[in-house]
Formats: sequence, structure tokens, C-alpha cells
Amino acid sequence: MLPIQRRSERRFESADVAVVGAGASGSVVSARLAEKGFRVVCIEQGGWSTPADYLSDQPEAELAWVERWNPDPNIRRGTADYPLTGDAEVRPVMFNGVGGGLVQWAAMWQPMLPSDFRTKTLDGVGEDWPISWRDLAGCYNRVARDMSVSGLVGDPALPELSYPNPPMPIGKIGMAAARGMDELGWHWWPGANAIASRRHGHLQACQRRGTCMTGCPENAKATPSLTHWPKALSDGVQLITEARAREIPLDSQGRARGVVYFDKEGMERLQPAQVVVLAANAVGSARLLLLSSSGRFPDGLANSTGLVGRRLMQHPYQTVVAVLADDLESWQGPWGQSIYSLEFAETRPECDFVRGAKWMVMPHGGPMFAVGEHQAAHGDLGFDGLWGEAFHRAVENIFGHSFTWGIQTEDLPEDHNRVVLDPEVTDSSGLPAARVEYELSENTRSMLSFNVSRAVEAAEAAGATETIVSGVWPTGIGHVLGTTPMGDDPDSSVVDRWCRTHDVSNLYVVDGGVFPSGGSANPTATILANALRVADRLIATRRQQEAAAA
Amino acid sequence: MSADSLQRATLAKLADVLIPGSGKMPAASSAGVAGELLNRCLSAAPSLEEPLLALLEAAERCEHSAFARDLATRSPEDFAVLSTVVVGAYYLSEQVRDLIGYPGQVPSPLSIAGEPEYLPMLERVYERHEGYRSAE
Repeated sequence: MLPIQRRSERRFESADVAVVGAGASGSVVSARLAEKGFRVVCIEQGGWSTPADYLSDQPEAELAWVERWNPDPNIRRGTADYPLTGDAEVRPVMFNGVGGGLVQWAAMWQPMLPSDFRTKTLDGVGEDWPISWRDLAGCYNRVARDMSVSGLVGDPALPELSYPNPPMPIGKIGMAAARGMDELGWHWWPGANAIASRRHGHLQACQRRGTCMTGCPENAKATPSLTHWPKALSDGVQLITEARAREIPLDSQGRARGVVYFDKEGMERLQPAQVVVLAANAVGSARLLLLSSSGRFPDGLANSTGLVGRRLMQHPYQTVVAVLADDLESWQGPWGQSIYSLEFAETRPECDFVRGAKWMVMPHGGPMFAVGEHQAAHGDLGFDGLWGEAFHRAVENIFGHSFTWGIQTEDLPEDHNRVVLDPEVTDSSGLPAARVEYELSENTRSMLSFNVSRAVEAAEAAGATETIVSGVWPTGIGHVLGTTPMGDDPDSSVVDRWCRTHDVSNLYVVDGGVFPSGGSANPTATILANALRVADRLIATRRQQEAAAA
Repeated sequence: MSADSLQRATLAKLADVLIPGSGKMPAASSAGVAGELLNRCLSAAPSLEEPLLALLEAAERCEHSAFARDLATRSPEDFAVLSTVVVGAYYLSEQVRDLIGYPGQVPSPLSIAGEPEYLPMLERVYERHEGYRSAE
């Protein structure tokens, strides 16, 4: 535990903008503002990760997942992690450090659909965004370039996009899965990934190791420590690592004064700032707002609606593994998306649920992962069905002969799915842990059931001799959305269309928490595009921005 | 790794219950899971060491097959420790990797030249798709 010492007497120079979190959105905002001359201080509770820290180029690569590079902070228990408590049906996962979740992400690049921004108008559920797909279109293309995305343009299921690099090969697994979709007449498209198919920008060409989620040792996967921070630091951003934000204090006028944090020695410090931007993910930002309660905001900062922490969305997830007789070299990467399908991403009148799911094909990694998925799905077989001779038979059948359809569903924003402060458990700085309350709705259960059945059909059409169906993953897939939703109405949203809190005029939230509804697309492309849009707005309106009293 | 020879012998017996020899595949003990591979496994995942040593101590005077089966039923968390170590160490073996045709997560430079084999299928996607749902 970090010792909490006395308050610092040192006075820090005031920043134009203090950003909390050096992950996906915080990196974009910090870099963009510094490029335009803002004095930016970014406070990050973790440190740097480099290829020297990964095990991805070692034979022990799969074992990295067991502990040190497990995406679940409750398992990883790094010094930067804070506990997630509660009995959530799906518990969020995250990585705390420079780059945030993009250190461990699979780099799947999937802009949302235009209809995802209008779920209430079109389908009578969820919430409309105050902005449209068109408002993000230009930013989608700019961040795709910054992230060296490789993809194939022209998917008729999406509006026109641009990618700076040609698509990755879809490999034998993608070809097998695509043949199944072709047989059924269903939509599929080669996957876009923020992985360089050739040397581009700050990235090297992918070497197909397939260890994307335990850290890319080749520097071929886009992560902000490569794509954004070198330029941001050279433009003058002060990045303070191993610093845990504790509170956003207010001045007498109710404006944010800066960020109070514990530095790596446990010293409490105040970083003054004219504007504060929260980018600590939908759990971390909500937690910090709740930690920042005051006489003016007794239920948490910027929480006059009571919505801070609520409407958590996580894209509940299941997998269908297709086992074929063919040699598919299924350990080979990248472990992004080989192909994806939007066949079932929209509301279908014949179904008993609304909205939909995105599917994507992935490899299975090494033998530990391959057999582990089989064993997790077949616990009912008992000891003799999983071990002994059965173990060898399973490996022989599955390893190198299978691909995985990931089924990623749109969960609707519901007030009871939320992040609150744990009344008892604390982190290593003595701050209350985040307690997560989350349960699947009947709509989501029906959606999962329908899509899993269709994915089994797709696997069989691809020639599968066996399918392995997982349960709903109890730990999430790193998609944490909602908790500080965006909207024009201050009575039913936390931030406005420019992601400024309705309650505090110089406080912004730019992470996935601002999603009023979540769609079914992997959210990073949208988080980055929206963060860039907000940064541009801050630049354009800098002379009108209200700030704390000096 | 602080396992002594008795603990390693116990692990070898338990490991063979989970992964016995079969056809061309060696038993876990023959592959070396209780030797250097155990050290490497625990070096990569050190949090497994303490619970592993505890369950090995508990298993020392037991019939190993019955112990492993009982552990799987009675204490899934402890069994997960045992199975993770055994499977993880087993697939660190070069011999085992060779036998299943697994080169490891090694570099395999990609080629993006030439026309992808999937293009005819993709043209059919384009032809039959009605386009995205308008939301304007």
C-alpha cells in the first residue's frame, strides 16, 4: 500500500488543461491540445509498458495471460489497479497505465452504424445521441490514420470510410468462416484492425505472432504510447505517471480548480488547471466524480441528475468455436478480427428482441487457450471427459483446426446497471473501490441466444464437425460504456454534446462513459473519434471557455 | 521456485493423472513438467506457486488419482491452479510442441501483395447487400 503522507506545499504551475487518464481518449485529447499550444498536464495512475515488459515473444506467451497480463485487474493486481467489487453478471476489465486498455486490446477497428446513434427514434429503446454518425465521420478517418488502421474500404453495411493501410490477410480461418457465410448468403467483410499491415507512421509491419492481447512485441499494434505520446511529449505535455487522482475540487463559483492526486510516493498534490478533462474510462471517471462529492454536489460531482455511474453497458459476449477437419493454422495472428459480420447488427422484425450483435472471427492462440475454451464449455463432461485420454483427443481435434466466432451484443442503457463506491473495500491509496452492479436484460439474453444459434449454423456451413459454445463471459471484453451519458437535456444526461458536464462549466468527460447507447461495434474507434471532436471544440472555443478563479 | 524433490515427485504423479501418455504424446512427467518446465511456468506466473505448494503438500500422502478427481469437484479454484501449471508447463516442452505441430507464437511475416482469394465471395456480399440503415 502506498503511504499517504502530508499534503504538498509545493505550488504547481497551473495548466490550461489537466487530463485524468493517459489511455485511449486521454491520449488523443492531450496530444491534440498540445499540438495547438495548450499547456497540458496528464495524470495517469499507471506507468509505461514496452515490449521489454511483455512475454509475447517468449515460449511462455500464453502464461502471461494467467497473471501479469490478464485483463482483469482483480487477477492482475498491479500496483496501478484498483479493486472492482460486487456480484456483477459481467465484470469490467481494463488496463491502467499509459495507453490504457489499448495496451491489451485486440485492435479491432469498427466504427458504429448510423442507426446506433438513433436507437430511441428508430427502435424505441435506449437513448439517441445528440450527435450523428456524420458528426464523427471526419474524425473517424483522422484517427484511423493516426492509428495506422489496416482495412478494406467499400463495405456496403457501413458508410464510406478510409483506411491508410491495405487489409491484413484473413488467413485460413477467415477463408473457412467466409465460405460458411457465403453459403448462407450472410454479410461478412475482411476485418479492419489498428495493426499495421505494412510499416506505417510509428508502427512496424505485423509479424502475425497472435499475441496482440498480451502486448505486441513488434510495435505493430497501435497503442497510444507509440501513436500519440511521442509527439505529445515533444509538444510539451507533462505526463505524470503513477499518480492516482482522488478528487476534482471546486472553486467558490462551482468551477473545477484542477485535480487532487496521490503521487508515487503517496504525497497528496493539487494540479491546478483552467479546464479538467476526465478520460479514466467509464468506471474510473464515474468513480472519480463520485469521490468528488461536496456540499454543492453531495451525491457526487456533476451528478445533479443522479445518473453518474448509471447506464453501464459492456457488450455481453459469447463465443462459438467451429472445429473443422482442415488445417487452419489457428494459432497464427493477428489476434484482431480476421473477418466480421453485421448480418444481425440491426433490429429484425421476426425476433423477440431489439437491436443486434456484431460478429468477428478470431484465431484461438496457443494450445492452452484452445483446450481451455473447450474445457470451460464442457464442464458437464466431468473429469474423465476432460482429462486423461480425453485431453489428448480434444487437443488433436481442436488445436490448429478451429476458428472462433465472437458474438458481441448491444446491451441497452439501464439505470440499475451501475458503478458505485464500495462502502468497505479500498484501493492501495485508501480510496473506495468501484463496486459494479450489472445484470443482463431479457432483451440481451434473447439476442445472445438467437445470435449463438445463427453462429452455430454459420460454423456448420463452414464445414464444422463440432461446435463449442461458451456461456456468457463473466468478465467483460474491455468495453465499458455509459455512466456519464451525453445529451442535450441536462435533466437526463451528464454531459452535453461537446462532452462538457451540464453542472460544471469547465469539466469534461471524453471516455466511453459518454455513450448514451452502445451499439454493438467495438467502441475504440468511436471513443477516439469523439475525443478528437471534443479536442477540436476546445481549441475552437478556447477564448470562450470559463475557467476557475485564479 | 522452491519446490523440493518430494513436492516435484508428487506433482509428476498428479500431472500424469491429468495428462497421461497416449500414442505419440508423452505423459506430463515424461515431458518434464515437474522439472525445469515447472520453474519456467512459475516464473511467468509466480502467484501460482504458493497455492501449488499447499496442494502438493496436501496430496503427498494421498492416492494421486483420487486426490486430483476430488480436488476438481471439491475445490475448483485449487484444481485450476494445478491444471494451469500442468498444462502450461506441458506446452513449454519443445518435444510436445513438435508433436502437435505447434511452432509457438513466432513471427510469420505477412504478404499483402496480389489479389486476395476471397474477392469473388466478397463481390457477392456487395451485390446482395441492401446497404446500411439510414438514420438521418
